[in-house]
Amino acid sequence: MKKETIHIKEWISDLQDFYFLSFQGLLGLVKRPFYSKDVIEQMDYSGAGSFFIILLISLFIGMALSLQLSAELSAMGFKMYIGKIVGVSIIREIGPVMTALVYAGRVGSGVASELGSMVLGHQVDTLRVFGVDPLRKLVTPRIIGSLIMLPALTIIGDTVSILGGYYIAVFVSHQSGSVYWTSIRGVLNFENVVSGSIKPFIFGYLTACISCYMGLSTKGGAIGLRRSTTRAVVASFVMIIVADFILTRVLFYIFGFSL
Amino acid sequence: MIVFDRVSFSYGIQQVLKGVSFSIPFNERVAILGGSGDGKTTLLKLIVGLLKPDSGRIVVDGEDITDKNEDELREVRTKFSIVFQEGALFDSLNVKENIAFGLREYSKMTEEEIDKKVRGLLGEVGLEHAIELMPEELSGGMLRRVAIMRSLAAFDPKMFLYDEATTGLDPVNADIICKLIVDLTQGGKGFIIVTHKVFDALRLAERFMFLKNGSILFDGNRDQLMQSSIPEIRVFLTELNPPLPASS
Ligand SMILES: Nc1ncnc2c1ncn2[C@@H]1O[C@H](COP(=O)(O)OP(=O)(O)OP(=O)(O)O)[C@@H](O)[C@H]1O
Ligand SMILES: [Mg+2]
Repeated sequence: MKKETIHIKEWISDLQDFYFLSFQGLLGLVKRPFYSKDVIEQMDYSGAGSFFIILLISLFIGMALSLQLSAELSAMGFKMYIGKIVGVSIIREIGPVMTALVYAGRVGSGVASELGSMVLGHQVDTLRVFGVDPLRKLVTPRIIGSLIMLPALTIIGDTVSILGGYYIAVFVSHQSGSVYWTSIRGVLNFENVVSGSIKPFIFGYLTACISCYMGLSTKGGAIGLRRSTTRAVVASFVMIIVADFILTRVLFYIFGFSL
Repeated sequence: MIVFDRVSFSYGIQQVLKGVSFSIPFNERVAILGGSGDGKTTLLKLIVGLLKPDSGRIVVDGEDITDKNEDELREVRTKFSIVFQEGALFDSLNVKENIAFGLREYSKMTEEEIDKKVRGLLGEVGLEHAIELMPEELSGGMLRRVAIMRSLAAFDPKMFLYDEATTGLDPVNADIICKLIVDLTQGGKGFIIVTHKVFDALRLAERFMFLKNGSILFDGNRDQLMQSSIPEIRVFLTELNPPLPASS
């Protein structure tokens, strides 16, 4: 067989493997055996472990956004819109995407390097020898962990961002606090909340599947580990941003927003 | 009995095994010698179905395992006790949990019974004191001993498979492992050890194979090995009588 043909074949079978992993990993939710201890451990690592970094980043994003808007809007005399614009952009867009990116940077690289070194150290083979399905034992808990923790982190991050925005609007830009909160309440309508909360589930699922896949397909020693860790983070980032656009488009269509 | 019938295997474009054939009864003590990257680990993984051959058949205990799926292979794998290179202990679990891993999967033992069994197994290799340690706290020799005990805790294997069991150990620890390997063959069980250490292979095995460039270059007993004129084997054998230091 020609080299090119083999490469194309490999590429297609890699893609198949990825779909298989994503699907079977999710199916593990309802199939036995279910490794609940591993799920708890993953939730602790990915959720509790990312808590403070998400708080910090969200706070500063909220403040920076509010600051930028104050400068621009007060020049035009539209300062009272700060709350509305901060609210919409945080809840619908910046909150979910930023939280997911930070999460992917931290958890994606962690998962890929952990699973990668398990592969290189024959630990994954050992699991199979003991009759344990690595998808069920390693992938499903990580998918569940992300499906639960990323949405939770996103809600916390959104709240902190909005509080940061409030601080700047009221104490730096000297706005009325009640106007800010009234606009935020107005922004918290069904459409915005739904579009803001569907995203983290999808992003979490993508990040978990991509990083598990990259980790489990590691080969070639330390260099290989570097490659799969980097790929896990880069691919997660790209997929999160692409998926964000697609989701936004689809949700706009569903909710009938006119452009 | 393990039978390889013209088995070929490749990782992508790199062909590792080229039509390898042999048969090994479960009670035989076999050493498969070969250099780094010659496909020794690959061969062991094929025996337990962790990898699938590109062509050829693999028969274990009269059953053709070539096309078996993961569930059907569970049964086949319980016939072996396999110890991977460097031990492959789960580094998130301590020594006790590593050894108990198979027991928890395969048996319905109570916590107390598991504890007793684990202590018993560790006692056999003089490592009771290490029961709470994590793998990273163990020395190379301890790691291999724990790995060997883990591999046989849950099943009653018919044959042992060792991947480089003594590689990277000092002579004293290598000696401990070799003795353990011999002890475990009591009752007529055999093993396959893949290694590049001729010295240890000669202490342990009665049959020798030499793997090179994806083919078996040699298959025979000790005397045949010592008298072989194959240049690669001669190079391997120099490990036994090292040349004198070069003098001017
Ligand atoms: N997952 C993999 N993907 C691609 N190539 C691989 C993979 N695993 C091993 N190889 C390559 O296949 C060849 C045989 O590998 P194998 O691990 O069986 O060798 P080995 O004889 O056990 O070597 P060592 O003494 O280093 O353990 C090597 O050249 C290795 O680089
Ligand atoms: Mg090897």
